[in-house]
Amino acid sequence: MDQYSILGRIGEGAHGIVFKAKHIETGETVALKKVALRRLEDGIPNQALREIKALQEIEDNQYVVKLKDVFPHGTGFVLVFEYMLSDLSEVIRNSQRPLTASQVKSYMMMLLKGVAFCHENSIMHRDLKPANLLISSTGHLKIADFGLARLFSNEGDRLYSHQVATRWYRAPELLYGARKYDEGVDLWAVGCIFGELLNNSPLFPGENDIEQLCCVLRVLGTPNQKVWPEITELPDYNKITFKENPPIPLEEIVPDTSPQAVDLLKKFLVYPSKQRISARQALLHPYFFTDPLPAHHSELPIPQRGGKHSRQRMQPPHEFTVDRPLHESVVDPSLIQKHAMSCS
Amino acid sequence: MRMHLPRGRGLNMYHNSSQKKFWTYDKEETLDKLRLEANQKFCSKALSSGKPGINESTLLNEQEEKVLFKHYEKRLLDFCAVFKPVMPKSVVGTACMYFRRFYLNNSLMEYHPRTIMLTCAYLSCKVDEFNVSSTQFVGNLQESPAGQERAVDQILEYELLLIQQLNFHLVVHNPYRPLEGFLIDLKTRYPLLENPEMLRKSAEDFLNRATMTDAGLLFSPSQIALTAVLNSAARAGLKMDVYLNECMGLKEDKETLSKMYESMRRMTSLVKAYELPKAEEVSICKQKLERIYAEFATNLKRKHGYEDDDHVVKRQMVADEEWTDDDLDAL
Repeated sequence: MDQYSILGRIGEGAHGIVFKAKHIETGETVALKKVALRRLEDGIPNQALREIKALQEIEDNQYVVKLKDVFPHGTGFVLVFEYMLSDLSEVIRNSQRPLTASQVKSYMMMLLKGVAFCHENSIMHRDLKPANLLISSTGHLKIADFGLARLFSNEGDRLYSHQVATRWYRAPELLYGARKYDEGVDLWAVGCIFGELLNNSPLFPGENDIEQLCCVLRVLGTPNQKVWPEITELPDYNKITFKENPPIPLEEIVPDTSPQAVDLLKKFLVYPSKQRISARQALLHPYFFTDPLPAHHSELPIPQRGGKHSRQRMQPPHEFTVDRPLHESVVDPSLIQKHAMSCS
Repeated sequence: MRMHLPRGRGLNMYHNSSQKKFWTYDKEETLDKLRLEANQKFCSKALSSGKPGINESTLLNEQEEKVLFKHYEKRLLDFCAVFKPVMPKSVVGTACMYFRRFYLNNSLMEYHPRTIMLTCAYLSCKVDEFNVSSTQFVGNLQESPAGQERAVDQILEYELLLIQQLNFHLVVHNPYRPLEGFLIDLKTRYPLLENPEMLRKSAEDFLNRATMTDAGLLFSPSQIALTAVLNSAARAGLKMDVYLNECMGLKEDKETLSKMYESMRRMTSLVKAYELPKAEEVSICKQKLERIYAEFATNLKRKHGYEDDDHVVKRQMVADEEWTDDDLDAL
């Protein structure tokens, strides 16, 4: 711990307070997060070991926040992550103008690449939401907190409060009390985030758990055994019944959206978890290959943490015409000079 | 329908493993230095404690620690060898590596090797997905039911300490898989050797013996496996130079080849030099160790919260739960 000097508080996460700190030796800014680990009857759960294993041995991925170090503190651990300027919830909240179709596409591509990487490494995030998608100073999106949700929150109230925080992005099987679930819960959350990026407001903003289910049911229609055979096995299925209502076409939920975007959104927001499109497959969806193409990361806004105003960077033109003078469509060398120097 | 992707991709490579990055050392002297430091750290702490029964002569020196380490390591291997259900080799290898890594930075006088040894085996079972319950695990101990229950408590008590001391690096790459790889490679690409399977028995023996040395802290698993193959071949009077030169593509790379020979020579001498400590030596060291533990017994209890001190630990844990800015300022 004495390797770091605390610079301030970043926020309060589900697992405790997150601090901004400086690694004294290297001067590097990092985020410190404590995970409390209570003594459990059967020792450290296998799941926890599996995930610590994964976090330690996982290869670097551009779209996943790197765990730099773990060290013991008190009765738990402190996790050291690379420090990130902001997160996607701030981008959505602070954006001066709505995100363009091409910016949304860019965020979705980075998100899906990160999710695909996690899933291929057997890591279920379980807590995907805009606030967990951090934005670097270069505009890149990186997934944070992955694996920890289920890892360390396996006791009583902690889990409950955690569920409340992420209700809007919770998959229907979780709302029905599923104790067993798969990476489909992440893909549902990806769908919710996608919808939120398109609409600039949350797709299913339930005020409580029951209302959350109502929000989902109102859009997707009341589930039945025909569309969702597994529903009868879910713990809370019989505890509550809803009035029959038909689904609303997603085109009406996300108006002014391209047909490809709606088509991809539909593939995430389906009741049976196994039928949700995988992150890897989603990356091959026509949505990503039709105009406008995903924005370059330099065209993405970079909000300051806690700041009111986002800094919209200069927008290079993205429509390319043969008539335009060449110098107008090439990147201004002064924009990349900083990066070029750090490479040398 | 979502396709199921291959599991665990990217997790199985030695070259970007924590083992290579953090637990592979350049030379034996480095390891001895670490052990000496751990020994001295405990000794100075113990001497300054002011306990009447503690002085230079009652404490273990590093050589005596080594004797006891070897003794308990052998006990660990024996425990694993008769474990029911049969323990896979990789689980045994991982358990031994945990034990070795743990006492690289800790003195046997601080944490009792009997408990740490069992905790290593228990953790290794979990990490390697060899699923046995804690009851089943201690059922393998020649103990009364009450003794077994105590063992479970101790194991669970030390589990967190163990993974912390392992720096949360839980994945161990053992040389058993590379050995299989080399045998397959010999079968497919080295027709000069008629029956590569004949090398297996003595190569596996070599790996088992290498487990009881520092080889795993100094060399990569594939180097150890290759050395095992070449040693086995040498014992059978077979020459394998052609395999190294031609099949491994090292003919042109004299430098790598000579480095590899040097590593193999060091490894072989490590394995050859291994000797079990003498029984009388062990019993003298053991007596010293038990006396030290008796002397510090009350302190240790408070520190680790053994069963009868449970309430103390629980209260402490609640207090520890919240993490405040003050908490950090104090550090």
